[in-house]
Amino acid sequence: MNAIEVNHLRRVYRAQIGVFNRSIKEVVAVDDISFEVKQGELFGLLGPNGAGKTTTVKMLTTLLIPSAGSATVAGVDVVKGANEVRKKIGFIFGGERGLYWRLSGDDNLRYFASLYGVDPSVSKKRIPYLMELVGLKGRGNERVGGYSRGMKQRLHVARTLLHDPDILFLDEPTIGLDPVGAREFRNVILDLQSQKKTILLTTHYMFEADALSDRIAIINKGCVIAMDTPSGLKKHVSDLSVVEVETFGASETALEKLRALPFVDSLSIEDREQKQILLVQTTRGAEAVPDVMTALEGQRVGRVIVREPTLEDAYVRLVGGAA
Amino acid sequence: MNTFTKNIYLFWQGTILSYRALFAWLRPVTYMASKILMPLAQMFFFVFLGSYATDGTATDFYVIGNAIQITAVSGIFGVTFSVGGDRDAGTLPYLFGTPANRFMIFFGRAFMHVIDGTIGVIIALTWGVLLMGLDLSRTDLPALGLTIIITTFSTCGLGLLMGCLSLLTANVMFVNNFVYFSLLIFSGANVAISTLPVWMQVVSNVLPLTRGIAASRMLVAGGSLSDVFPLMVSEIGIGLMYGLLGYFLFAWFETQAKQRGTLETV
Repeated sequence: MNAIEVNHLRRVYRAQIGVFNRSIKEVVAVDDISFEVKQGELFGLLGPNGAGKTTTVKMLTTLLIPSAGSATVAGVDVVKGANEVRKKIGFIFGGERGLYWRLSGDDNLRYFASLYGVDPSVSKKRIPYLMELVGLKGRGNERVGGYSRGMKQRLHVARTLLHDPDILFLDEPTIGLDPVGAREFRNVILDLQSQKKTILLTTHYMFEADALSDRIAIINKGCVIAMDTPSGLKKHVSDLSVVEVETFGASETALEKLRALPFVDSLSIEDREQKQILLVQTTRGAEAVPDVMTALEGQRVGRVIVREPTLEDAYVRLVGGAA
Repeated sequence: MNTFTKNIYLFWQGTILSYRALFAWLRPVTYMASKILMPLAQMFFFVFLGSYATDGTATDFYVIGNAIQITAVSGIFGVTFSVGGDRDAGTLPYLFGTPANRFMIFFGRAFMHVIDGTIGVIIALTWGVLLMGLDLSRTDLPALGLTIIITTFSTCGLGLLMGCLSLLTANVMFVNNFVYFSLLIFSGANVAISTLPVWMQVVSNVLPLTRGIAASRMLVAGGSLSDVFPLMVSEIGIGLMYGLLGYFLFAWFETQAKQRGTLETV
């Protein structure tokens, strides 16, 4: 039995517009999504903002009723057996909210343990264990309001493990964390993975998905557009190389010239403070560099490298990077 | 641990922790000041104003009315913040994502405020005895204690309903203030209900506190528990009515939020 099965899931939001001439505006957040997650698998869900990742997670965690389609978690329908599903899952939505800031970390866990029906004698032992697991040992008596963002997000992990669920939904759990905090958080996820927990992870960080996921589904505009292992997804761009060009204030005209080159598959731009990194996907590899430099003539250019494509490059190609 | 025991434990945890979440930020001195000085300020204002207006012939009327009405501080504001606090904390998705018994979650938020409100009334009555000449020598004190608890319970019922409204709107503080100050008049705390216009008397009759204040005045004047028994039964009924209305609104809110996808936009 698969831990999670999603069949043609769809969710439409309806919003009323206007005061006197009221009309209904429909927004399709999830159009048609199907996938399965095996027991013990870490399944990544990637997609741009508004692709439908969080909406999908909300439906699977019983917080949102689907407009159409069906889904089972641990073999139980998420609508008909919502309360049964809740006993078997844990979930985190990114960010630091969702905790009682005026209570201590331990008190938060104590309350959520009671909400999950955990026997007090069990939670008494489990809370210190979980606080240690997430690196908050010795901080349980402090008020959550005084915790750093990373500590709050780690407390969320402890909260979600209180009833020892087999299936975890982690929706952008490392968002807003500093690099050290994010790395520590990923170690916690790896630890959970080693405990054979089934994990559905959504993230914007491609390296994170690449490093952690057994399989990944890329969704865009509410539909799954690719689903494979990270290495399988990278094969989508195996014909490509990436020319990375460091520029300082490249003009729009120069970028247009670059986009117009016939061998440029796609061009994406990463802003890093005062400089931009131009990521040119091309089938010509290093041979493309002279033409790229010609297109950027007159611009201030720094380091130029040619590298193999990553999962991010595959993602950009699949979701249609600005070509 | 069976389901019943788990639910009692959940109720207890909810009641203790939600109360601490509400007041833990206060230092003990500040907390005690809010419990002791605020009732005193209200009592001073209305008792001396009322005594001035009636040439001191009806001081007890104002002392008892305002002392009992003090319970609305816990019943209305306290309970509303305990229920609505989840909206501000962003904990609603996590709360509704658990399999916990909603009835226990909901009513657990009010329980501590019944105790808190009762203590508030006792403090206010103490001020009445010490500073405003309230005479309790003819009073059946256990009956008065029971009346205070029941009145606080029914006021918390209204607070639960208000708490649910606070899940729907960010402007509930305005509504809370409106209700609190309306109770100063409509409950009969400061104006005899028989002197109010008919429509106001109708409103008075469907509010908590009204019967509790009337019963307390009867008990202080020497009445017995059997004299106030009908008023007490009605007061319990009023409290249950508001509490259950609040609970159904809470359940409706959860269903609507999941259907409409508004859990995080409230």
